[in-house]
Amino acid sequence: MATVELKPSRSNRIYRPSSEPFDGKIVISSPSSISHYGIRLSINGSVNMQVRGGSAGVIESLYGVVKPITIVNKSVEIKSSGKIAPGRMEIPFSVALRQCGEESMERFYETFHGSNISIQYLVTVDILRGYLHKSLSTTMEFIIQSDKAELLNRTVSPEIVIFYITQDTQRHPLLPELRSGGFRVTGKMSTQCCLSDPISGELTVEASAVPIRSIDIHLLRVESILLGEKIVTETSLIQSTQIADGDVCRNMTLPIYVILPRLLTCPTALAGPFSIEFKVTVVINFESKLSKVQSKFDPTTPRLWLAMESLPLELVRTK
Amino acid sequence: MLQVARLLMDTSVLEFYPTIFVLVTEVMDMLGDLVWERIKQKAEFTEDETRVCTLSENFGASDICFDAKETCNNWFCKVGSVRELLPRIYLELAILPCWRFLHDRPEECLQRVVMMTRGLADPLASSYCRLYMVHCARKLPACDTGYLITCINDIKVLLMRTISTTESPYAYLTDNKKLLVSLMEPTIEYLIKCILNDASQRQLGKILVELGIGKTQLELSGSSPCISIILHHLLKELPTEVVVSNSMEIFDVIRYTNDHSFDQCLNYRLLGFKLSESRSQMEIVNAVVDKVIQVVTEYDRLEDYLTVLDAYMDTILQNQMDDYLNSMLEGIVDRACKKKIVEDELASLQSIMVKLISYFRELGDLFSLNHFLEILDVMYGGSRNVVNMHILSMAMRNGYVCDQTIVKLLFEVSRSLHDGMDLANMKDDESQLPSRLIIRFIQLVDYGEEMEQHLNFLVECRGIFGNLSDLKETLVHSSNALVTKALKGGKNRLSFVKSCVAFSEVTVPSISAHIRQLNLYLETAEVALLGGLVSHADGLIASAMSCLQSLQLEDVGSQIHMEIDGILSSIRKLCSLLVVVPGCIPDQGATNILKGVLSIIHSLSWMTPRMKTRIHCSLVLLSAALSQNKLPYHLHHSEVLGNDMLFFGDTSYASELISFSEPILRYLVDAIDQEPLQTNRGSMALEACNCIASSFKINDDLLMVCYKLIDTAKSCLSVNDKFLQSTIKFLDKRLPPPSPIQVN
Repeated sequence: MATVELKPSRSNRIYRPSSEPFDGKIVISSPSSISHYGIRLSINGSVNMQVRGGSAGVIESLYGVVKPITIVNKSVEIKSSGKIAPGRMEIPFSVALRQCGEESMERFYETFHGSNISIQYLVTVDILRGYLHKSLSTTMEFIIQSDKAELLNRTVSPEIVIFYITQDTQRHPLLPELRSGGFRVTGKMSTQCCLSDPISGELTVEASAVPIRSIDIHLLRVESILLGEKIVTETSLIQSTQIADGDVCRNMTLPIYVILPRLLTCPTALAGPFSIEFKVTVVINFESKLSKVQSKFDPTTPRLWLAMESLPLELVRTK
Repeated sequence: MLQVARLLMDTSVLEFYPTIFVLVTEVMDMLGDLVWERIKQKAEFTEDETRVCTLSENFGASDICFDAKETCNNWFCKVGSVRELLPRIYLELAILPCWRFLHDRPEECLQRVVMMTRGLADPLASSYCRLYMVHCARKLPACDTGYLITCINDIKVLLMRTISTTESPYAYLTDNKKLLVSLMEPTIEYLIKCILNDASQRQLGKILVELGIGKTQLELSGSSPCISIILHHLLKELPTEVVVSNSMEIFDVIRYTNDHSFDQCLNYRLLGFKLSESRSQMEIVNAVVDKVIQVVTEYDRLEDYLTVLDAYMDTILQNQMDDYLNSMLEGIVDRACKKKIVEDELASLQSIMVKLISYFRELGDLFSLNHFLEILDVMYGGSRNVVNMHILSMAMRNGYVCDQTIVKLLFEVSRSLHDGMDLANMKDDESQLPSRLIIRFIQLVDYGEEMEQHLNFLVECRGIFGNLSDLKETLVHSSNALVTKALKGGKNRLSFVKSCVAFSEVTVPSISAHIRQLNLYLETAEVALLGGLVSHADGLIASAMSCLQSLQLEDVGSQIHMEIDGILSSIRKLCSLLVVVPGCIPDQGATNILKGVLSIIHSLSWMTPRMKTRIHCSLVLLSAALSQNKLPYHLHHSEVLGNDMLFFGDTSYASELISFSEPILRYLVDAIDQEPLQTNRGSMALEACNCIASSFKINDDLLMVCYKLIDTAKSCLSVNDKFLQSTIKFLDKRLPPPSPIQVN
């Protein structure tokens, strides 16, 4: 039985659309010789959107899939018809993802897999063998990161937000002892962050009458899809990082240091039909009997024993 | 891995935490090593395992290929995605050295982890986490101690909070603060050790300032600058010179640092020890000691008082601060008399007393210290014994003890030592030390010309220390020595001598071992003879002989063989003594005592042939000596006449001696034949032969005996034996003019 494999030149399969070609090898191994009508390589990139749960209503969810946006769709013949000798054979290939002067329909968004939006790039090899034989083919995903040329123009602004969290900044009901005792937590954090760097900042518990149980930094993803005239937004928690365990000392500066999960983040994207944004929520979890009873709860939903502060976070690609 | 690290989040059972810590960090280290090796391999080898490069010890991030960096980065991302703080820190620490693959300055990452650790509110978890941090940071190539100082200062804040709050979210903290602190102690100790390890003098100053120690008094007042336990370990690790040169500042820090984590006294104490370790300027020492004494005089509890002062004792003594010494001793008495002293206090008191004792050269100075004896009196038990022993051994250092008051005091000391001795446990060497000391003391007591007083003293000793057998032996020796001393004095002290001999006579029977009794009887008999007390001497010799007799009854066992030489020499001693004992009891015959000895010898079944030979030889020599017209030696006493005077020219006396010695010859020959060992037998035969040849006029019968003995010797020894040859030569000389008798 003949097999066909795709071996991209990079083990991490990360490519940039303009500056670099997508290259690699096609490896065919077969016990017998194969005649074919041509070997084709096709590249397909698209934004797939799906409305599911979130702020979408029942009717919208019935629509289900929104029409996908195609970013790239091209097919190249690597080899014209001929014969492949038995044994192992390697065919190198190189395809420019975006050719100069070529009118591209869409931007090459970075690869992203979210809950409602997914941006995916696939490469497929087909060995066409006429009607009598089943054609051999294989598909592989590769990852697109923004062009260096594009990135050079941008630098991360050292924009730092100073925040403070007290009983008065909370818009949801709090435990009476929290209201009366009061608390004050201050901090600062950069709101624009390079994807390869951690989110950094610091936080200080200045006062709290009620002991603190934990302080967490939640990283949230906001996916929005334009659906007709409505925007359907889905916010999901992608990572929690605890920075204080227990009732920490007052007036001691704690670092905020959150490494961004590679597979769950991408540069903030604001396109017409969809947008991918991120935000950070600082959640202070106070000791209370109630919280012990309800041990499992969504950490982002406001509760009586939680105090929180949300900060926008723009993720950018640099280098 | 994560599960393992999570184990450390649980601090509910405090005591288990260190154990879990060790187990978990072992696993963590293993993980760290594996990751390090894996990435290093990626950097050094290609995918198909060919070596590309070899990383040097101090490689930089630029030497690492992209792939290896990717892998390394993935690890940090993986660790970074852990939600819980504590496992995340531990995991990052485990792979901390791997930062070297990515950055040229991995210390910066360490600095961040130090800050992250502040997020751990639990004091125990947080301090152990820092311990692991130090452990991992040591794997980084170059690392200054700055991060450690941050750690210590953070722990300080944590501890201050833990100690000061009465209410805490951690229920266990309120109950177990002491336990908590004691569990945290090793981590603090280790951190401080690492900070001060090979720190230079200049760095030390900086470190002190950064830890909040080097402040002026003004800055200190009001705030508590440090935590006692941290201060304690800091003091412990700081080089002595640094402590001493900053001692005033340190004193102030100690004064303002008084919390429950560690006893303030012990910090004062440590300062004291450090002061005494080095010779420093008088002014500083004076000032510090002055301040410390001021502080301790306010202490109410004896224990605290003693704990601190004990450390300053050496300094006070060495610098001759007599005022402080007096006020200190007074302070001890004041506090000690209020209530009974407890065990811990005794230990400190003991240490203080021993220091005092070893400082003074003269007992008199020691005893004349104010309150010294009072303090000694309030002590009891083992500590008192130790102090007593020190006093006694100090007294021994200076030789004879002549001062009457000191003798009296030492006697009291010995008495209390004796009362404190555990008589049931006297077997091992250590427990015999006190009794040896007392014996030594008695030996060294010297009353000079006041011999009656000395005797009285001995009598008193016998009364008090009656339980110690060895001691009674000493008493007898001492009293005998007194007799000779009295006799040498030349004055007529017959009654004193009598009472001494009587004292010995009474004392000896209470000594348990017969062999010792025997020797003591002989010694006393000799002394009695010297004093001209013939009847006493006779009585004593009789007692000695009955002792000898009873040797058989009780002591025959393995140990008797060990002492066999001792017994032999005692019997020989008896024989030599008998030379000068006048055998003047007419109706019993002159050789009565000799016969007694002989019969006892025969009745002792355990005698070895060798012993018998030697004793018989002695008896032969004795009778030969007695038969001379002039005895070889005499008593130096005008009233006691020797046998040579008593029986001069008496033929019955001579024949009695001859008839006494005849059977002995027979026994002698028999005894030699019984000896199983050939070489022994040979030399014994020669010994006997020599003895016979030198004791008697040789006639034919005797010559037969001698030749027989020579033959025996010849059959047992080699012809070249020197002893054999000289014996034959000697025998030839002793022979009457050549006789025709041939011996084959």
